Amino acid sequence: MKQPAFHIIKPLLLTGEWSSSRWFSYIGLGIGVLLLLLSLQLFIDIQALVKQTSIRKNGFDYISVTKQITNDNMGLDNRFSPTDLDILRQQPFIQGVAPLISNRFEVVATAGDQIPFASDIFLEALETDFIDTVPPGFDWKPGQPIVPLIFSSDFLEMYNVFAPSYGLPHLSMETASNVIIGLRCEGQKGEQVYRGQIVAFSDRINSLLVPKSFLDWANIELEGLPSANASRVYIKTKDANSADLLNFLARKNYRINKEKTAFGRSKQILQGVIAGLGVFGVLVVGLALLLFSFYLQLMVARSRDNLQLLLTIGYRPDWLSRQVARRFIPVYFLVIGVAMALTQLLQYLFHQVIMFNRPELSSWLHPSVWATAVLLAGLSVMTNWRMVKKLLYGIA
Amino acid sequence: MLQIDRIRPTYFDPSTCERSEVWLQRIEVEPGERIQIQAPSGSGKTSLTHFLFGLRKEYVGSVRYEEVDLRSMNPDTLADLRREKLAIVFQDMRLFTEPTLRANFEIKRQLTDHHPESLIDEWARRLGIDHRLDTPAKLCSYGEQQRASVIRALLQPFRWLLLDEPFSHLDDANARKAMDLILEESDRQGAALLLSDLEIVPHYPRTRLLRLQA
Repeated sequence: MKQPAFHIIKPLLLTGEWSSSRWFSYIGLGIGVLLLLLSLQLFIDIQALVKQTSIRKNGFDYISVTKQITNDNMGLDNRFSPTDLDILRQQPFIQGVAPLISNRFEVVATAGDQIPFASDIFLEALETDFIDTVPPGFDWKPGQPIVPLIFSSDFLEMYNVFAPSYGLPHLSMETASNVIIGLRCEGQKGEQVYRGQIVAFSDRINSLLVPKSFLDWANIELEGLPSANASRVYIKTKDANSADLLNFLARKNYRINKEKTAFGRSKQILQGVIAGLGVFGVLVVGLALLLFSFYLQLMVARSRDNLQLLLTIGYRPDWLSRQVARRFIPVYFLVIGVAMALTQLLQYLFHQVIMFNRPELSSWLHPSVWATAVLLAGLSVMTNWRMVKKLLYGIA
Repeated sequence: MLQIDRIRPTYFDPSTCERSEVWLQRIEVEPGERIQIQAPSGSGKTSLTHFLFGLRKEYVGSVRYEEVDLRSMNPDTLADLRREKLAIVFQDMRLFTEPTLRANFEIKRQLTDHHPESLIDEWARRLGIDHRLDTPAKLCSYGEQQRASVIRALLQPFRWLLLDEPFSHLDDANARKAMDLILEESDRQGAALLLSDLEIVPHYPRTRLLRLQA
């Protein structure tokens, strides 16, 4: 069947085409889409930025606790006894306790020929549940020549501060991960040399972590003693800022690393604010579509007589609604395209100007932002078409 | 075939329809028939035309075009019927007021492309409105609008043509010209005519006369 030409009937329909409500709805849609896309991209950026520094895991805070060293207890054993650990475990605001056990033998680390570095170090081990970045295969079995290491990112930062003074090169995380570290372990019962490789960096734990199986085995094998009581324990809690927890720790004269928990909280708040911004964006998009529906209703009301006559003389409401809806598609695409371009520009500036030294970020928009824009465009077109159709069938 | 099966406006008392030759009657309209429905004011003449055209549904009984009940048609099917088979000349003309007469014709003609565009000029010349083709409809007289309304109705394929007082604003000579054009085109298409008027139209070669209120 031959399709009629729309341009002949166009003057009959789009009366009030330049209506202000239409333009307000376009502007509103643009702002809403911009807010939504921007908050989504920022949310993704923050995830990428704090991925390696996430202090919270599975909804819990993990904090390090040591006994406060004072002049009075300086000479005493300030390690956590099994009784101390039990008392900690019994507290309702503590969901888990893990001692940070350490080596009882001497360890000297060397960095091979390329980096002339050798130093006495200490090794520690912690239950994997308490470690923020546990790569797969962070385990050790007797006979395995390579010992996986989780290195404190603060230590790496410290190393990079003093390295030039000792004629040592700066190391990025990637390079440090590729360096094979020689571990010479010497105890009462013998000496062993292992090769250590950094498999992850931790922001939560200021230590050089090895698998617990290695330390338990080596303490007995090299020193003939089981792992000793820990000087540091990690506790797992739902809220590191809970008054009950802080009061309890103060009463026991325990010291905690507050800075780390504060960072975790800031990240949460920041993500909350951005999520709020996204929700606001969704609301603005919704309002813009609602405003556009008012415009359409106004347009149909103004052209009602003409539309009715067109239907009376044989124009199909289906064809008419498709034709009317199609008029707005280019504008919708333009509005969403402009919002997308602005989001891209802001992301580019954010990465290039503010976060220029963060390889974990990208100057380009995340695919999910593109997908959201496409989804929004589809949603706008569909909503608009359905609305026109409903209005036209209403008068047919 | 058009079947009008015992219809009656819901707002008419059944007793008032007893003597009608249309209300509550079974009427079958064959192709090529020329029916005149004679109806005094207030007897429901325009209501009947609107029922037959599917504009209003406040009636009991049924109207069926080729066995399909008019009331069962969805808006798109109804549009198809009006575009391909069912034409109408309204008593109140119903032209688009702002566009010119030519635009009014083209809006209708382009729907099916059944007739060439040049036919518009020819028919307008025959009915004496060719000089008004580029004038907005609202500036034309009732007589001119009525002739335009006739031309518009004929610019489509049709099997049935409903005419609701199609010559009420025309003098005798112009009414005859319009009638000739209607008969010529309906003959060519083999269509049935249903003409409703207050009085019996003298020069209408009817095959059947039905009184809406006897």
